[in-house]
Amino acid sequence: MNLIEILSQVVAVVLVLLPVAMVIIVGPNRLRTALSDLRPRVREIVPIFTVLGIVLAINSVVRDSGNNLSWIIGLNVTGYIHVIEGQFVAYLQSMATPALTAYFGYIYVFGYTFLLVFPLFAYLLHDDVRPLYEIVIAYIINYSVGLLCYVVFVAYGPRNFMPELVEPLLYTSWPHSQLLTSEVNTNTNVFPSLHTAMSATVAIFSYRYRDIYARWLPVAWVIAVSVAVSTMYLGIHWLTDVVVGVILAVLSAVVAVRLGGRLSRGSAGFGADWIGNRLATRVRGWRRDD
Amino acid sequence: MTRPPTTPMRRRSVLTLLAVSATTLTSGCIRRLRTITGWQSSNQMSLEIKTVSADADPYALRIANQVAEWFRSAGIDTTVTPMSNEELLRQVLLNHEFEMFVARPPEWIRTPDAFYSLLHSGYTTASGWQNPFGYANLNVDELLKTQRSATGKRRHDAVSQLQQTIATSQPFTAIGLADDIRAVRSDRYTNWQDRSLRSSLGYLALERVDEQSQEGTTAQEQTEELGVVMNDTRPTTNMNPLSVEFRPTDDLTALLYDSLGYVPERETVDPWLAASWKFSEGDPGPIASVRIPADLTWHDGTPLTAGDVAFTYAFLSDTTLGGGIEENPDDDPTTVPAPRFQGRSDLVSDVRVIDPQTVEFRFVECQPQVARRAFTVPLLPKHVWSNRTQPASVGGIEVGTATEALVTKNIPPVGSGPLTFVENDPQRSLAFETFDDHFLTRKEHSELPAPLANGPAFDRLSVRTVGSDATAVEMVASGDVDVTGTAVGAKQVPRIGREDVLDLVVKRSKSFYVLGYNARQSPLANPRVRNTLAQLIDNEYLVDDVFGGYAEPAVSSLTGTDWLPPDLQWDESDPVTPFLGTDGELNVEKAKEAFRTAGYRYNDGNLVGK
Repeated sequence: MNLIEILSQVVAVVLVLLPVAMVIIVGPNRLRTALSDLRPRVREIVPIFTVLGIVLAINSVVRDSGNNLSWIIGLNVTGYIHVIEGQFVAYLQSMATPALTAYFGYIYVFGYTFLLVFPLFAYLLHDDVRPLYEIVIAYIINYSVGLLCYVVFVAYGPRNFMPELVEPLLYTSWPHSQLLTSEVNTNTNVFPSLHTAMSATVAIFSYRYRDIYARWLPVAWVIAVSVAVSTMYLGIHWLTDVVVGVILAVLSAVVAVRLGGRLSRGSAGFGADWIGNRLATRVRGWRRDD
Repeated sequence: MTRPPTTPMRRRSVLTLLAVSATTLTSGCIRRLRTITGWQSSNQMSLEIKTVSADADPYALRIANQVAEWFRSAGIDTTVTPMSNEELLRQVLLNHEFEMFVARPPEWIRTPDAFYSLLHSGYTTASGWQNPFGYANLNVDELLKTQRSATGKRRHDAVSQLQQTIATSQPFTAIGLADDIRAVRSDRYTNWQDRSLRSSLGYLALERVDEQSQEGTTAQEQTEELGVVMNDTRPTTNMNPLSVEFRPTDDLTALLYDSLGYVPERETVDPWLAASWKFSEGDPGPIASVRIPADLTWHDGTPLTAGDVAFTYAFLSDTTLGGGIEENPDDDPTTVPAPRFQGRSDLVSDVRVIDPQTVEFRFVECQPQVARRAFTVPLLPKHVWSNRTQPASVGGIEVGTATEALVTKNIPPVGSGPLTFVENDPQRSLAFETFDDHFLTRKEHSELPAPLANGPAFDRLSVRTVGSDATAVEMVASGDVDVTGTAVGAKQVPRIGREDVLDLVVKRSKSFYVLGYNARQSPLANPRVRNTLAQLIDNEYLVDDVFGGYAEPAVSSLTGTDWLPPDLQWDESDPVTPFLGTDGELNVEKAKEAFRTAGYRYNDGNLVGK
């Protein structure tokens, strides 16, 4: 089994879950009406998805050099984190059972991917593009700040700091999953937990837009909380990483709501916000181009 | 580097100081204050152990954590800082930025003369495994010199005495010899047990499973691939045989670069690329006339001649080739030797080309058995490496005092070895193919033992990288590759046992785990302190608990060779620095007593000293 197979497994699982969740959460009626009227909305959201794509592409290109840079200028904070929280993760792992390990392993890989992908499709089917704008902006902020932190801080997860107490449960129970996770990240990038930050972001927006998809709220929260716990249970992240991840999620949601509102409303009321203004001008430029 | 906050701010002493200064100032007694400040109370001893993360090495971090726990019990504030392989070697071997470290020194330390470059005081400012400990002992220097030139019993006595002194003064604490544990598949290749895969010989000694015994004999036409999985991405980004941080062993680079001689068994060097060599007496050291076969070529087709051999030794001893690197115009130009081979290249004082197939070596004062060690360095093509003598630069700006040769990625590498480089995908994979023009594939090399003389049993060697040893084992089990090229931890043994298709290969390696001390700074500059710290370490317990029994506790790095004196034999406990406790449980009172004898004292359970 190799990387491609693991990757296709993830894609397959998400492709199965997605339509099922669409029918249950979005509802057949809305699906039908929204799908017939998709084209203008897609055109509207192309710019913001382009930005997301660029951020992800930059990440994959600079991840290696970012890691090298991190060893030159970064602060090795692993010891500090351990001083702050001690052996919490080891305590959490003391409750491990094979069933829990399987659950959290699947949540960490499949649940997380589904959690991030579903809102993009669900909010796309909503009449107003604003929720979609906001959540994509929040993703971008999470990702960018996370990457910056990874350069500034060098930190190893609990499994790499106290191996006598914390098992790398994901990799001992499902070794092939590491082929995928090592493609996505390196083992010194644990502070903060981007898994937690992204999941918490989805949970926050599921609450903010609970009127749109009421059924999404409980699903998102169960998965999001499970993801946050799984990162610790599997020995990958510290509690500190998770807490900072949640803080990052809240901050990016606040910024995204402010920025997203303005972007989706158009140019009015931009005046004071320099960054927002520039971004809006750019985005409008792209809109004109296509 | 950074470390967690250690001693809390000594509020009491600050307050005392303030109070005292207020009193003395008001009474005008500045002189008294000045006298008193000479008697400031001292802080708790604090030490940092640097090592690699658990992903990178199955044992190192666990050793460090356990040692740190023993040190903490003895009242020493001890922290462990994990880092990547590359970073550890950079900080320890190049920058000497460490207090203690846990690592595996290269295997060549297991010959007596290796102690020369490892511990001679003349090497304290050099890079690489040249005295990284900053250890300086004039008696040791003298013994090192004696063992180089003496023979027979005199040499044996000197080496015994050397080991005794080292074991007492502890420039490093030997932890043990770990077993190399590997998962292999035997359906395509056999002879895994013959030689360690820690060296290129392990790959060359493999034999293909007889074609007739396999189903369908059409396989003859297709490319025979040997798949190797490694839990180390360094080889996929850098192929420089001179790089200290990227080359813990020569397992892969020695497949690309031949050397004049090789080490078939420990303590001997036999001709590899060289056709023959002849030693004669000289002044001060011996002279060797080395003949190389005619018609050898480098991988790019350029002929390999005596000129390349002479160049290699001149270049390894100074990669600027006499140009030097000056940081300021007024400075003396410095020579920049290649740190990975400095101990060996320093044995050679001069190399001269006699004819295109003959080279004459002049050695420093030593006996031929020692001198032959110099023949194990990789031969480098002059037409490639002579362009790498300039100071290393980033974007045109010269940085530091390294030459381009020491920092280049060297991709694609051009050697003369049995395999040639094909391609690499940084962080992911690497591929080599057999070199059709290699002497192994075209000539009868009767001197080489059978499995080696037949050349590689495969046409292509593919290396893939993974992030942990569990994943590595799983890759072999699922048939993607044939062997775990990097040894895995003892925890993987049950996993390997569960899989029918996997064979477990356990081989006592020649590679040590050591706890190294930086003797350049207080308190570790004091041999008494190092000796006492060594008594806080229970090797026996580490072998059971961390290595799961897959290791052998040891005092001297020559354990397992004929050089080990009987009184340094491990006999259920450490004969020189016995553990102050039983079964991993430190006897704190005994430890305190030992430190008090060393002139330290205890304050609230904390070890304090000036």
